[in-house]
Amino acid sequence: MKKINVLLLVCIFAAMLVSAVSAADIYMFIPSPEYADAINTLIEEYKTVAPDVTINYETTQSDYPTLLKAKINAGSTPDIFGSTSGKEIAVYLDYSYNFADEPAAEAMTDAVKGVMMSGDEVHGFAIKGNYFGLLYNKDIFEEVGITEFPKTFDGLKEAAEKIHEAGYQVFSDGFGEWWVFKHAWQTFFDAASDDPAALADAFIKGEAHIADYPVLYNNFFDFIDLVVKYGDAKPLESFLANEVADFAVGKSAIVVGQGAWVEADMLQINPDLHLGFVGYPVDDNPDHARVIGGSDQALRINKDSAVLQETLDFVNWWYTSDYGKAWFNNVAGVIPPVKGAEAPDMEVIKQGDALAESDGVAALSITYFTDASHQAFGETLQSYIAGTIDKDTACKQIEETWVKLEN
Amino acid sequence: MGAKRKEQIENVLFTLPAVILVSATIYIPFILSGYYSLTKWNGISKQPEFIGFQNFVTIFTDASSNFLNSILFTTKYTVVFIIFANIFALALAVALTQKFKLANVMRGVFFIPYIMSMTIVGFIWKFIFSQGFAKLFEMTGWSWLNLSWLGNPNLAFYSVAFVGIWQSVGFYIVLYIAGLQAIPSDVLEAATVDGATGLRKFFSVTFPMLWPSVTTCVFMSLTNSLKVFDIILALTQGGPGKATASVTLEIYREAFQNNNYGLGSAESIVYFLFVLILTQVVLKAFNKRDVGL
Repeated sequence: MKKINVLLLVCIFAAMLVSAVSAADIYMFIPSPEYADAINTLIEEYKTVAPDVTINYETTQSDYPTLLKAKINAGSTPDIFGSTSGKEIAVYLDYSYNFADEPAAEAMTDAVKGVMMSGDEVHGFAIKGNYFGLLYNKDIFEEVGITEFPKTFDGLKEAAEKIHEAGYQVFSDGFGEWWVFKHAWQTFFDAASDDPAALADAFIKGEAHIADYPVLYNNFFDFIDLVVKYGDAKPLESFLANEVADFAVGKSAIVVGQGAWVEADMLQINPDLHLGFVGYPVDDNPDHARVIGGSDQALRINKDSAVLQETLDFVNWWYTSDYGKAWFNNVAGVIPPVKGAEAPDMEVIKQGDALAESDGVAALSITYFTDASHQAFGETLQSYIAGTIDKDTACKQIEETWVKLEN
Repeated sequence: MGAKRKEQIENVLFTLPAVILVSATIYIPFILSGYYSLTKWNGISKQPEFIGFQNFVTIFTDASSNFLNSILFTTKYTVVFIIFANIFALALAVALTQKFKLANVMRGVFFIPYIMSMTIVGFIWKFIFSQGFAKLFEMTGWSWLNLSWLGNPNLAFYSVAFVGIWQSVGFYIVLYIAGLQAIPSDVLEAATVDGATGLRKFFSVTFPMLWPSVTTCVFMSLTNSLKVFDIILALTQGGPGKATASVTLEIYREAFQNNNYGLGSAESIVYFLFVLILTQVVLKAFNKRDVGL
């Protein structure tokens, strides 16, 4: 009798031990709530692969960095968390795991991986790849007799005048949003130097000046002036929502500062919209008018996680399994950040892919700076548009911002 | 002796939960931010670096910092807010204490904005200023509707102040109505017998009797406007440029967006002292008129 009892106890303990080892809770706290449904589907599917692993998924849009910092400082760093890619990879290095040797890093496309690196180490992965450029209404362009979107800055000016004369609002500017400026600016920045990363470094060290780069000092500000002239009547009250709406209903011809992420919303408003997607014409060199690809968001793995192996297994499965690779297209409807996966059937992505193939892509130079300085950058340009400061003051403020906030 | 001792223990025990909660949410964070204000810390890294009073020096010497400008903005906002919120509230309170049919309904109408969340009020007015005004302009052709009320740095100040006052005026109306109803009617009747009418009666009798309410309302509008944050975040996010950045917004930006937690803490300490001195001065000024709060 006694023996049986002992045996039973041992069995119970063994069962407890096994369940304690195999059952793992992964805490995933990331931004981008627009993909909440898709990620929940992914997590459900992972349940069939690893029934013992529970993924607690939490997401928020506004104030994500603040909430994340609060969690980190409270000692409950999520197992998977988010930041922007590029410069901000370094900010969270104390907490993020280098998974360069994992299959997930192997599967990542080079464009995405490029902005996740810290030296040779890989510190982030993406939910999606992205395209940044100008979206234009093909029907309006056809109507005013422009067959091909201009590839030079002067060509853009002429086109703008033509469209204006035909009675359309040429640009939807979105200048009420600070992040529209960084998206518009990066192609100009790429054209300013053969090595934009080194140029960004020079600006951050305070060794470079905007006035020395005509494409930034003249063309970029001329571009802003041009957009203000032919754009919304109240440029600083134009936000993402009315940018999308005005363009979708055919009121305006070109959308500034956006990219692949607005297409679905526009088609919902007007399914017959004929979208064109091109790079910004920044100077008189047509080769500089390239689209920009990559990912500006990064997901990170907590290196001190108690369930590190389980988390890695999940990420590897996401990036390398057949279901995971197909998920990007079939479920989330985004540009896959992994090699050899099928892309969704969307105009921006198709035209972006074709342009990337024929002309190459420009660097995702917004990632050389953090959002803190991008926000100050946007505010400075808003003051410039409002007329409270002139161009030289704006340039000086921008240079100061980069030195102050990026060091 | 035993009873007294018991009473003492009770005093401690009953206040203890409140003391613990208030300490955990106010005093301890306050002391901690005092410590962080002496460090260079981005809010993320594991080791804050001690730098003494460097952050305070930065606040007053860094020409590119917007902190001093934001103090100026907040002061301007506070002055406009106190004056207009109180004048409107008092005028409306007087009107709403008159006997007419819909008085109670009207009181409710003016109070509704106050129970709505500031953020929602901000988003509603953002929509009205940009979309609503545009539509109204098409219908009426009045040129003031076509101004860029949130996009022009000068106008944006008045837009923000207007929405702030619109939202909270209901609260001050309630306080003034309570004050007005507490004025004994025999005093007013005596004034009428003495031949006082209309405005004379109001300024010579009603207003002085209302002074405690005025003190309360002015003081509350002072502290509320110094704290202004959410309405600006929802309406303009401090823009265009930095035209409507209040101090609280600036501190939040510095700490959480610019990742300068130390500098943000130092700014909040400086602002705490500023508010402390200002409120004491105002309180003293009102006490001189011999009516306590």
